[in-house]
Amino acid sequence: MNTATGFIKALQSGTKHIVMKRFTFRYPEEKLKFTGDGYQFDPKKGVGIAGTRGRHILFHDKCTGCQLCAIACEGIAEAITMVKVDEQWKQNKKSIMPQIDYGKCVFCGLCVDACPFYALYMTNDYELSAYTKTHLIYTPAQLAVKPKYDGDVEIKMG
Amino acid sequence: MSTLDDKINEINRLAIQITKDNDDDRLMNLSIGPQHPGSGHFRIVIKVDGDYIVYADPDIGYVHRGEEKMSETRNFIQNIPHLERPVIHDSTNIIYAYSLAIEELIGINPPRRGQFVRAIAAELDRIVYTTYWLAIYGIFLGHSTMFMWPTGDRELIIDLLERLTGHRVTHAFSVPGGVRNDIPYNFKEKCLTQINYFEKRLKEYEDIFYNNPLLRQRTEGVGIMSKEDAIKLGVTGSVLRASGVPYDIRKVEPYDVYDEIDFKVQYMKSCDTFARAYIPYLDMKESCHIIRQLLDKMPDEGSVREKIVGNVKAQPGETYRRVESGRGALGYYIISDGGTKPYRLKISTGSFRNILALPFLLVGSKLGDMPAIYWALNYWPIEADR
Amino acid sequence: MGSLTPDFRFGNFVGSIVWLVFVILALVTLLILPIIFFTLFYIPLPEVDGEVLTPYLFFSMMVDPSRTLPIVQFFVHTDLFRAAVFPGFGFAALIAAATIFVERKLLAKMQLRVGPLYAGKVEGIFQLLADGLKLLTKEIIVPSGADKPIFWLAPIMYVSTAAAVVALIPVASGWVVADVDVGLIAAFAILGFFPLIALLFSWASNSKFPFIGGLRALHQMIAFEIPFFLSALPVVIMSSSLNLSDIARSQNIFWNIFILPINAFVFFISSLAELERIPFDLPEAESEIVAGWLTETTGMMYGLIQLGSYLKLYALAGLFVVLFLGGWSGPQIFPPELIPGAHDSNFPLLQMLALDGLYNPVTVNGIFWFLIKIIVVILLMLIVRGINPRIRIDILLHTGWYKLIVLTFINLFVVLMLIYGGIIGPGGLISTR
Repeated sequence: MNTATGFIKALQSGTKHIVMKRFTFRYPEEKLKFTGDGYQFDPKKGVGIAGTRGRHILFHDKCTGCQLCAIACEGIAEAITMVKVDEQWKQNKKSIMPQIDYGKCVFCGLCVDACPFYALYMTNDYELSAYTKTHLIYTPAQLAVKPKYDGDVEIKMG
Repeated sequence: MSTLDDKINEINRLAIQITKDNDDDRLMNLSIGPQHPGSGHFRIVIKVDGDYIVYADPDIGYVHRGEEKMSETRNFIQNIPHLERPVIHDSTNIIYAYSLAIEELIGINPPRRGQFVRAIAAELDRIVYTTYWLAIYGIFLGHSTMFMWPTGDRELIIDLLERLTGHRVTHAFSVPGGVRNDIPYNFKEKCLTQINYFEKRLKEYEDIFYNNPLLRQRTEGVGIMSKEDAIKLGVTGSVLRASGVPYDIRKVEPYDVYDEIDFKVQYMKSCDTFARAYIPYLDMKESCHIIRQLLDKMPDEGSVREKIVGNVKAQPGETYRRVESGRGALGYYIISDGGTKPYRLKISTGSFRNILALPFLLVGSKLGDMPAIYWALNYWPIEADR
Repeated sequence: MGSLTPDFRFGNFVGSIVWLVFVILALVTLLILPIIFFTLFYIPLPEVDGEVLTPYLFFSMMVDPSRTLPIVQFFVHTDLFRAAVFPGFGFAALIAAATIFVERKLLAKMQLRVGPLYAGKVEGIFQLLADGLKLLTKEIIVPSGADKPIFWLAPIMYVSTAAAVVALIPVASGWVVADVDVGLIAAFAILGFFPLIALLFSWASNSKFPFIGGLRALHQMIAFEIPFFLSALPVVIMSSSLNLSDIARSQNIFWNIFILPINAFVFFISSLAELERIPFDLPEAESEIVAGWLTETTGMMYGLIQLGSYLKLYALAGLFVVLFLGGWSGPQIFPPELIPGAHDSNFPLLQMLALDGLYNPVTVNGIFWFLIKIIVVILLMLIVRGINPRIRIDILLHTGWYKLIVLTFINLFVVLMLIYGGIIGPGGLISTR
């Protein structure tokens, strides 16, 4: 009788799920909501602030061109190279800023940990696909744009 | 073919016979190869006589990347993203042992709150890995519902880990000195809700999978590995505990805050494939209890990371620390010569030890038992190859 | 951000539409018109009601309602209609297609996901069409060293054998493609042909995994044929006829499942094994032998074999309904006339709408109840798929050769005792004759 009760319980469990509510998202129309603004790091305390690791955002008025983010990434993915920019900032004597290649970046966030000037953070934007590889290299001007992400669906469990 | 020595002799005899190329006509060579829906990144060469397997030889090395060599040219923090790639789901546990070893070499101690957060992430990662393992076990046995339910429930835990660490898998969360960021503001309530929901789902798994008479018929009494054989072969983790040895590194050599947590070591005495399939499930239930206690006991204030300079130098010496991951004992043996990069880093993984038992379990069993036995050894091919 | 789309030019768009129209016109002129001319020259047209049915007459009949109905009635009673459309291939293929779609959706609901969703506006209804078109465009790869004639013929043999079983199932009283006096034995004989096709195809594939799969298919189907026959034996004893329509008619007092519950259970399990469905899908075990004897099928051959599988599903479910659930019997819920008073009215349009002369309430009622029962049986077969893992070959052979045969004999002896005790059977207390 053990086999019979085993089968009946399995049947009950299986049919119960036909009417349970499922939490599948219809992706392009419904997007997940994130709390917070993205991963940030506080160099004074030495601890980060929790957030999603998506595309980077570079604050041009704080970056001094010290290359610490490029040095941190050299052992990991070699995705950051410093390029010369046309702008003149007071704190950036050499006028160089990082350019990030998202074809190589692994989104580990150690470059954010390395920056001592509060200039490089990460944001919630993860939809970074493009049609060619050269479009994946984001110049400092592109990195300065704040992303517009409007996901607002939360997962509801049954 | 009852004792281990008999089996070793038989396998050696067949290995010599095969290299001499005078095969028996009844035997058929099968290559459950890397291009197979039932094998992973891994190949097993099998000789079958009708339906019985007479010779099995695992062929590993398809995903070897040279992790240990690569780590000699990167400093301690830069090593973390590439060292966690062998097991992308369970990444906190594989970096946990590394962090403990480097902390010993550098000579720092992570703050208490950091230790608690690290342990919470490790237990959540254990649940994530074990649900994935359970899903693949279901599909190997042909049970497609058991593939979809754990994968779906795992998504909720991964969502939780994304709030905590920023990434769904490959978190790069624990570093030497603590963890990289503090918990977000409503993490405790969300974590408790998810854990409660997950425990309710675990009951459903038991109904449809573990108490299903067809599964029991397929796995009970199959692939028996006695207690002495298990200790002699050197298996670890849930495979060892399924043969009646109550050995869990979190109890034997407690690290971080595990000596303050009250949990039981789950082991079963029946030594067969069903026990090996059931123990990870019991482990998941224990992990839920552990997470609740950790959330309770966590101190409310304090830093989570001991501040170190990026290019820190370690003291010369060697150390070996190990951790109980989802697959067994995972240890790091690091030799440092006083610089900023490790001189030699060796990873000793549970999967590599467990796969040594595969030929001895497969010889003498039927071809239909091969997926059940193989995946119950808790083998993750990428971790074994590093 | 950073994506590159090609520019839209209106001139190119108009040019492509003109090119499309030109290609269609060329095709019609060069191919389709000659075909029409050849058919009109060489094929003699049939006669209806004493007039030759030319295309002009056909179109005028479509427009004039008083002459449409006799045409349709004539067509409905021909053999071609029976074999190709109604209880034959077209009907079965429609049910098979609906079964595949319902199976995917039902399994998805059970597994807490959504199933096909994007093909077609309503919850993925055109998914099957999309899959069929995809399979048509794939290349058919024949492995080197394969036995080519058998390799190409096997899927066609599979579909035709499945269609042959479908031809024996009665859907309503008098609506069966082949009304054979030994219908039940003919069905079992045709079903015995399937293991041969599986073995031949797996041997012709010249590869190891199909070979193991073919042997397993052979073992499985042969092992379960015996409980299959034995569980239908008491049905024959009670209705004293082998004709499937007579068996269905003889259950008008009570359905056979109330006397033969164990046999119905054994028949159900054996039919799951004949169909190679989970939990009995060893010949196609994915994690051990890649795809079993179907490994080397690609493209439309795979599509044909799946179609054959689901036709067989409909046929075996139909056999279950006819043998144990009373065929098409059920309370009469359709009124004698669809629109009352239409037969005597003067408006030919009303006669056409009321399907006067075509609508037979008893037949439609029979079809309706048959469909309801088939749907219940098929749903049961689908749910069993969702909750079970795959079985192993030695457990399967043990079940088929020992346990199921013993169970059928138990029920056979119970039925024989009831007949000799004079309770059922001809001249008994609850007589069916």
